[in-house]
Amino acid sequence: MFNILLTRKALTFVNTLRGLRGWKLAKNLMFAGVGLLMLSALYAGFWRLLAYLEGVQLIGPMLSWKLTSMVLLMTFSMVIVSSIIISMSTLYYSFDLKFLFSAPLDLRAIFMDKALETVFYSSWTLVLAILPFVIALGRVKALGAGFYLAYGFLMVPLVLLAGAVGIFFSMLVMYAFPSSKTRDVTWLLGSLSVAFVYVVFRFSKPEQLLRPDSLEIVAQYIQYLQSPTAPYMPSWWVTKAMVAYSAGHWGAFAASAGVLCLAAGALYALIYFVSGRVYMRGFSGAQSSPRFKGGRGTLPEQRLAAAFPALRAYFTLYWKDRLMLARDARYWSQIILIAALIAVYLFSIRQLPLDTPALKSLISFLNVGVAGFVMAAIGLRFTFPAVSLEGSSYWLLKAAPITTAAVLREKLSVSLLPSVLIGTVLISVSNYLLNADLFVSVLSTFTIVVAAVVITVMGIGFGAAFPDFNVENIHQLESSYGGFLYMATSMGYLALLVGTEAWPVQMHFAERFGRYHPWDPRAVAFCAAMFLALNAAALYVPWKIGLRNLEKHEI
Amino acid sequence: MIEIHNLTKVFGSFKAVDGLNLRVEPGEIFGFLGPNGAGKTTTVKILSGIMRPTAGRVSVAGYDLATDPLAAKRAMAYIPDEPFVYPKLTGWEFMRFIGDLYSVPLSDQKKRIPELLELFELAAYSGELLESYSHGMKQKLLIAGVMLRRPKAVLFDEPTVGLDPKSIRRFKSLLADIAREGAAVFMCTHILDMAEKLCHTVGIIYRGRLIARGTVAEVKKMASGAFGPRSLEEVFLELTE
Repeated sequence: MFNILLTRKALTFVNTLRGLRGWKLAKNLMFAGVGLLMLSALYAGFWRLLAYLEGVQLIGPMLSWKLTSMVLLMTFSMVIVSSIIISMSTLYYSFDLKFLFSAPLDLRAIFMDKALETVFYSSWTLVLAILPFVIALGRVKALGAGFYLAYGFLMVPLVLLAGAVGIFFSMLVMYAFPSSKTRDVTWLLGSLSVAFVYVVFRFSKPEQLLRPDSLEIVAQYIQYLQSPTAPYMPSWWVTKAMVAYSAGHWGAFAASAGVLCLAAGALYALIYFVSGRVYMRGFSGAQSSPRFKGGRGTLPEQRLAAAFPALRAYFTLYWKDRLMLARDARYWSQIILIAALIAVYLFSIRQLPLDTPALKSLISFLNVGVAGFVMAAIGLRFTFPAVSLEGSSYWLLKAAPITTAAVLREKLSVSLLPSVLIGTVLISVSNYLLNADLFVSVLSTFTIVVAAVVITVMGIGFGAAFPDFNVENIHQLESSYGGFLYMATSMGYLALLVGTEAWPVQMHFAERFGRYHPWDPRAVAFCAAMFLALNAAALYVPWKIGLRNLEKHEI
Repeated sequence: MIEIHNLTKVFGSFKAVDGLNLRVEPGEIFGFLGPNGAGKTTTVKILSGIMRPTAGRVSVAGYDLATDPLAAKRAMAYIPDEPFVYPKLTGWEFMRFIGDLYSVPLSDQKKRIPELLELFELAAYSGELLESYSHGMKQKLLIAGVMLRRPKAVLFDEPTVGLDPKSIRRFKSLLADIAREGAAVFMCTHILDMAEKLCHTVGIIYRGRLIARGTVAEVKKMASGAFGPRSLEEVFLELTE
């Protein structure tokens, strides 16, 4: 039975590969190429870091293994959290589950099929992301090809274990509270967990690992390095096995790898056994919708629509979107992650070791680029998917007497204010923490407001240029080709934006340092013209392309 | 009135609709018949404005869909074969949404929405999210949305799929009412018995081309070697073999 299910997955994969021809193939190759470039950049960064750590006298090897154990612990924890969130969809709400449950298939076979799918989706990006670290580690320690084989062998049970922990948790929660409401609560808890891990990790100041002087007693530091990061966690068993491999202690390697494989085997035997008893109850409960009682009152937007008939379509779409977003836990639970991101961002700004007021002001200016990146990342989650999230119901708008431009304008208005607000908060608080001078404060605040508007318009434009009304979740949109292009274009725009202002900022610092006649009006005019041209193009081109594409889009 | 002139739609090398010419008068119920993949849904999607034709022209209530799409869309209503609706809105909110979107006056909405929800036996569920509605309930809600607007042309793609027998009977009666009020009704259906009893005229599309058009009686005569009274089903099967 299980073979039939695996065959269907293999056929889907093969058919997808066969479908990659022409532009589709070129697009995917380009995507893969850029991904490879990013991994190479990560590798270069990790190699420099590990080479530095390894070179520290006496404690160098300990430092790099300590860092490895921390990276593996983070990976293990993140796979667990991802697995909890993803398993809620794959195990209980996948589009093919009704078909599978109606087929003469063993319940456990369906469960294991979906469990493996969950493990794959919750781990592949993380496994890929730490690959540059592991390659750099092997190279710095000159461990040879065998080390990578051993690592690959150890990673399989590690991600299987992490995935199984998440799946087991979801299964028990759905068994105890068999309702679709449980999914919303789990998503919320998942977001809270990720935010918590992220904030705690950053607030623990991991940079201290690289600054032994911050710990008062040397012996205490060495003891910290030698102690297991989390002795009962499978990630520590992997670290132990890797250390044993590098030292040629085959017995210790086999013992750690054995414990890992045994634990994975035991956990899968357990969930296989338990699923037969509890999976059905959870699945059945997930099919029932929670009771919801909406009122019949007139909404404020409806009153406004009655007062301003010319804006009727806008207010109608606005109240529809407002209600939809407020009722979709997948969406608003992400706000917790944004709050965590902002907190960590501002904390990192405060921790920057900057000595002079001029340097602080310079960093405040460059901070526009970093804050812009944060806003683009938030836009990728909220603004870019706005059009695609109309989903299968998009036909209602397409058949309605409203223009596509009106739909896009409404989507833009939903995202615009939060974007501008987040950007302004990031920059204003950063400027305050860095004690930036008045010129830089005003310039950076003005720039971030403009950047917020442009990045939001670009998000809607790219979302309309690459719509996908059949996606099951936002993550598929984020990792799509369109999402990638949106991020890449936003990065390019931010680099140019900071570039257009670099010259006037340089003149400002020249004035601060007392240079005579530092301001060149022609240069300022040139930069202002470049600034205007850049923003006009960044506003117009993606919007126009998106609008044209969506008008032509057939459903 | 719905007018279609030389409508053609090509997907790659496949011609889904090939030079279709049709005219549905106000008050007429037109049944659009054809086997799976014949081009019915493509035609109705083009008429509704959610798909663009490769060639040809469509006008609804005198408005050309290419040059004046908003006026044409304002005058018509469309119900697809799959009743996709916003899952996080309630039935009541959805009706308000349709009313607002098509500029139905607020006073009319307040009066007609409760009546229509009652008529379609959805009043008890009107405060619940649409994600909890069955296929048939969503279909009924969409039909109620059409009734709220009083359009001049109505496009239905398999409208009775998922409806219970009682709702089908009510739907048939409503369809006759809509036509009596002067709307042109264009209905794709596989239920030949319903087409035979309900439609004033029918058309049969096969491999993108209209192969028969006329009243039910006229179409029945088109089949070769027609001896004695034959059902529309027999004629349909013969023509599309």
